[in-house]
Amino acid sequence: MNCADCRDNFIASVEGLLDHDQSLQCQAHLETCAACRTEYKALAGLQRRLVARGQAAAGVRMVEPVMRRIHAEQFKPERESIMTKLFKHRWGFGLSAAAGAAAILSFILIAMPKAQAQAVAIMTKGAQAVAKLTSIHLRGQVRTLPGDNFSLIMPDQGFVTIELWKQFEPGLKWRVEKPGRVVVMDGQSTLLFIKPDFGYKVPQPTPSAFDTQWLHEMANLNKTLETELTAIKSRNWPITLTQEQGADGKAKSVVSVEARSGLGADDYLHNKFFSTADTRRVYTFDNQSELLESVQIYLHAPAGDQLVFKLDEIDSNQPIDPSVFQLQLPANVSMGGAMPMLPDNEKYAAMTSEQAARALFDACAREDWTEAAKFFNPLTDTVKQLLGGLQVVSLGTHTTLSNGAEIVPYDITLKNGENKKWNVGLKRDPTTHRWFVDGGI
Amino acid sequence: MDLTDKEYVERCRDGHPEDFGLLVTRYQKSLFAYLAARVENLPQAEEAAQESFVRAFLSLPKLRKPESFYSWLLGIGSRVAREQFRAELHRRRDAETAETMMTSATSETENYPLEEALAALPENHRQMILLRYYEGLSCQEVATRLGLPLGTVTKTLSRAYLLLRHELEARDFRESGEQTVNQGKQS
Repeated sequence: MNCADCRDNFIASVEGLLDHDQSLQCQAHLETCAACRTEYKALAGLQRRLVARGQAAAGVRMVEPVMRRIHAEQFKPERESIMTKLFKHRWGFGLSAAAGAAAILSFILIAMPKAQAQAVAIMTKGAQAVAKLTSIHLRGQVRTLPGDNFSLIMPDQGFVTIELWKQFEPGLKWRVEKPGRVVVMDGQSTLLFIKPDFGYKVPQPTPSAFDTQWLHEMANLNKTLETELTAIKSRNWPITLTQEQGADGKAKSVVSVEARSGLGADDYLHNKFFSTADTRRVYTFDNQSELLESVQIYLHAPAGDQLVFKLDEIDSNQPIDPSVFQLQLPANVSMGGAMPMLPDNEKYAAMTSEQAARALFDACAREDWTEAAKFFNPLTDTVKQLLGGLQVVSLGTHTTLSNGAEIVPYDITLKNGENKKWNVGLKRDPTTHRWFVDGGI
Repeated sequence: MDLTDKEYVERCRDGHPEDFGLLVTRYQKSLFAYLAARVENLPQAEEAAQESFVRAFLSLPKLRKPESFYSWLLGIGSRVAREQFRAELHRRRDAETAETMMTSATSETENYPLEEALAALPENHRQMILLRYYEGLSCQEVATRLGLPLGTVTKTLSRAYLLLRHELEARDFRESGEQTVNQGKQS
């Protein structure tokens, strides 16, 4: 083996890709050639630098934000000044200045609407490609609390894994899960389990329940894409298209939709839940299969856009293990159910949500669990340990959610001295009309 | 199949602006790494990288040699990083803070010539280095991506490495010469 052959094999040698004979020949040459030996040793240092550079940039993904900024730049009011600059520039790619300017003008003014039409076409094809679903499994990450409401967005929290399994045929069954909360609909009933010790059973099958509606809508890919297309057309939501190469090396079409909630920035519900947020939804389709491969949702916030949900695993029409639709609750679980009618039920039924919040926190402060239990369905040991002996700092005024529940802001100091500011969710029990805690503790 | 930088640039100019996303895909990580060594923190590097791509897109008509897109992009990135640095310096008027910034911004200067040296490689060599090290693909995955035999990939990577090393040495040599000249002027 000569120097040139040996140096051609450096990478294969370092990465263990040479066969036994070639490796021996390379080693033999290195033992006799000081120049190649020096190069070979230097390779390791440079490789380390390159690997470190690659690792530093491992999570970088900026195609979508860059293309969005380009789109915004092209259509902002100052566009004239950009155009003026372009006209003034002496162009070096074979066009006269005037012809070049005309080309750029049409490039900016005509190409983007065409791209928008292409984006709509891609979404339409994507919807058609999943028109007949027999099952679906979604796996994503959402910024929220592990055990709180399934539809809650909390941009200041870390990402929590959320999954949905849904079987459409032969009979509808589904399961939605995140680390602190799971709900299973096994075809007969719907069972919610909030870890570690709270359960609630609805004795009939449901198409969705316990604030999982938005994820069910997303699982209905065909419907989701059709709904987006309708909103794009009727509400004039902006839509953009970019092309990029996926991690698998295949070409992808990335469609971004700017969704508007219609709520003002001072509305309490603004940006709190998926249905009340101003977001940018980014759909990535594989160009060959036309299937939707991933979804990202960015929350528009004053401090800048923030990724709050990313759906990166979509398996459609794959068999789902039947055990997914079974849920065994631990023995210590306290089950909620029909709330009992109290002798003085009218007094509680007449309360506003703020009064109910005040009464339940005061009961917890006194550790009067008989009174507190009137507001929980059921009252668990975990809640007793958490709230017993608290001090109320202040309570706010309620906001009504789209599902009829009301949330009341609270500021309390726990027995361990920790301050907690959040919102207690309250719902009226349909039989007794009393408020009971539906989340936020 | 992957196109060359020149082909992508020409397609962008010919009414396919969405293809610019493929150039961003190709160079986002190396540009980020390049800028991360020049600015104060990673969010600034990401912001500078995004800004550089936007400026590059808007300036595509000015690019005389589309095949030199990458080195041109690094030049834009370098200007953006300098502007960012000056803006930050202006914002923090405190002299002590400025001194700290100056130190931190120049403490890793040995790192950023790596991407400048990469820009000097032939495009096929550069793409393999980017795929292998910045995208983290194995040699076999690079071969599959580019539709080449594994042996061709390892040989091209070996040659790319040698070219890169020699380019870095030449830069060190040039810079040490410039430093000597500057020191001579100061004394």
